[in-house]
Amino acid sequence: MSGGGGLVILLDRAASGDAGAFKSLYDATSAKLFGVILRILHERGEAEDVLQEVYTTVWRKAAEFDAERASPITWMVTIARNRAIDRLRSRTSRPSAPLEEAAEVRDTRAPADELIDASTAAQRLHAALGSLDARHAEAIRSTYFEGLTYEALAAREGIPVGTLKSWVRRGLLRMRGELA
Amino acid sequence: MSDLPDDMDPVDGLAADFALGALDREAHREAERSIARDPAFRAAVEGWQALLSPLAEGVAEVAPPPAVWERISAGIAPVAPNVAATSLGSPRASRAPFWSSLALWRGLAGGAVAFAAVAVAMLVARPQPAVQPLLVATLAAPDGAALLTATYDASRGAVILTPADKSKDDGRTPELWVIEDGSPPRSLGTIDVSVPGSHAIPPERLKGLKAGSTLAISLEPKGGSPTGAPTGPVVATGKLTGI
Repeated sequence: MSGGGGLVILLDRAASGDAGAFKSLYDATSAKLFGVILRILHERGEAEDVLQEVYTTVWRKAAEFDAERASPITWMVTIARNRAIDRLRSRTSRPSAPLEEAAEVRDTRAPADELIDASTAAQRLHAALGSLDARHAEAIRSTYFEGLTYEALAAREGIPVGTLKSWVRRGLLRMRGELA
Repeated sequence: MSDLPDDMDPVDGLAADFALGALDREAHREAERSIARDPAFRAAVEGWQALLSPLAEGVAEVAPPPAVWERISAGIAPVAPNVAATSLGSPRASRAPFWSSLALWRGLAGGAVAFAAVAVAMLVARPQPAVQPLLVATLAAPDGAALLTATYDASRGAVILTPADKSKDDGRTPELWVIEDGSPPRSLGTIDVSVPGSHAIPPERLKGLKAGSTLAISLEPKGGSPTGAPTGPVVATGKLTGI
């Protein structure tokens, strides 16, 4: 995940049609994006389809990537989450994940050893999250990682939607204040 | 906490909801439309996305199975990764921008035509020193729908087929033909669109392919035409042109 500058170069070369550079970009980022997608969709086959869509989109839109506006990984994660969430919403009814799988994905806190390798930005973000009211932090984590709507998450947690929304927004404001 | 506002202004709040992915489908679509027409809203969304994206670093990496890359690779460009790798340093490498100028590949992938299956047919012959032109034909059905794109790279001795549609699959096998200078159609072999991957066309059949020749696909019984000439309906035709 480090070497953002390297990713910029790879994206730039992919934009000019360099399939080899695109493969390198895929090798460097696909496991992360697949993890993000899988956490939202749980279902492997579906997650693989979405991953394919995401990289096809990245290839086609590589020329639109603007390093001034986002880092490559932010841009790609955004596409991946967008696609995964879109897929999640298009399900007529969401199959509930098997319990053991659900337990695994509910633990949205990054393990400490992963954080050691994490970028400064991630460490600061996790620190900011850690400083929040625990319910606010958990609400933010759950919406972000699971791709659930406020309605779905509120129903699952048995709290009013307005309350959840207010927790998330207050938490986000505070985080932004901390990170500013 | 008292030094911070308790709530966001509505636009900033909507931008945050969108960046988090907490909106339902309809609201999400509506927000996407706002992003397209409202630079200020887009900037707000991008701000939240940038703020939140480091969270993704905490997600455990999961290596996708190799088949996913194979599908991506087959869908984006008519070059199998191994071929792309071996072409580095050859005269072809400097022509890389060609692939990006091939708007039709991307058009096919993103257009109205379902990109149901992609078969890449390759055969790697002795590299020839001279860079020869690439020939490409988009084979379209009578109603104009693109069914397949064929690229012939004479310098590499490869024909790359990218079927755009396998909805016609009714048990019959598509067979590729070339029609040159009014001669009877000559078979280039059957096309397997069910398995993305490589299959070869015998080199002797590729000899003499040139701009102006017509490629055609007919639907034949399993195993290909029993007579050596098209027997089934011709579902697509297209002329080879140099690029």
